[in-house]
Amino acid sequence: MGPEELRAALAPALGPSLVGVEPFEGFAARVRFRREGATELFRAVHGLGNTHLSMVAGIDWVDHREVLYIVWSDAAKQYTLLSADLPADDPHIETASGVWPSANWHERETWELVDITFDHHPDLRHLLTPDGYEFRPLLRSFKIHEPEELEVKVRHV
Amino acid sequence: MSASPSVRPAPVARSMTLPPESLRLEGELPMAGAAVPFVEIEALRAREFIPAAKEALGSLISNRSRETLIGPVFNWAGRNSLFPLHWGLACCAIEFAAAFGARWDAERFGVVARSSPRQCDLMIVNGTVTWKVAHKLITLYEQMPEPKWVIAMGNCATGGGPFRTAYSVVPGVDKLVPVDVYIAGCPPRPEALLDGILTLEKLIRERKE
Repeated sequence: MGPEELRAALAPALGPSLVGVEPFEGFAARVRFRREGATELFRAVHGLGNTHLSMVAGIDWVDHREVLYIVWSDAAKQYTLLSADLPADDPHIETASGVWPSANWHERETWELVDITFDHHPDLRHLLTPDGYEFRPLLRSFKIHEPEELEVKVRHV
Repeated sequence: MSASPSVRPAPVARSMTLPPESLRLEGELPMAGAAVPFVEIEALRAREFIPAAKEALGSLISNRSRETLIGPVFNWAGRNSLFPLHWGLACCAIEFAAAFGARWDAERFGVVARSSPRQCDLMIVNGTVTWKVAHKLITLYEQMPEPKWVIAMGNCATGGGPFRTAYSVVPGVDKLVPVDVYIAGCPPRPEALLDGILTLEKLIRERKE
């Protein structure tokens, strides 16, 4: 399924939430969407045969943040990239774990490393870092600590 | 004997009469005719067993003093049967596994990896320790019976290694538990691990009760 077919399939369900569908190297297409239509997009993309969520990731672009979903279609043998821009001062988006249950841990990881909140997530807590860990290490604003300094902050949470 | 009597009754010391001479094997001559103190071993905890066993052994060997013989006997038994905890944290665990394989065969030194911390007296920290796993490591260490030792295997366990300034890595496992032997290397070869274990055995030999 190419970008044009994908746009035709998604546009009726999403309306203005669909920002654009463009070609992307190695993928069926790259779908840009607004977070208001996230759940509708996930359901529509899942309905097109993309039954496997390969990964969720976040990028800190300093002026805004971006959340990425890579989904895989067994029938078409193709990946599709979904991405949404989020404002840096309020980065949150609806969870995808209702559509793809494997999003659960990916979103926990994205939340704790890039500080993107996933609304209505069933279990949003730390995955790789200890409970109560205050840092968001993959943000550009994160400074490398001296081990002793970090230890004091981590050990007593 | 540090057990509180209100929690648990003190172990009962009884006298055991030896079987009649016709049933005895040859070679049991030191005990012949003597009433051997017998303690209900099943009723003992590990930390109660060692002093009780020392007492029993000491009464059998009357000609030598306890300090010169009994301590070294237990020391010798302990250092020749070091049981490390069978777990792996990172890539050092591959070398750890190789050391127990056919080629290096750590078992010839009496080193047998056990899967339960309650059967172990040696913890080999073989890999990067993150703060996420830190309290689990401490729990495992606390579950091991005394006396116990820790070997920090490789650069990560020794001082955090290349991840020393990372956001989630403990800069050296000695921040969490006392370490007896450090092994350098990234990862150390199985020979280095065996050398570390033999170094630990030397330390145990020089240990005072």
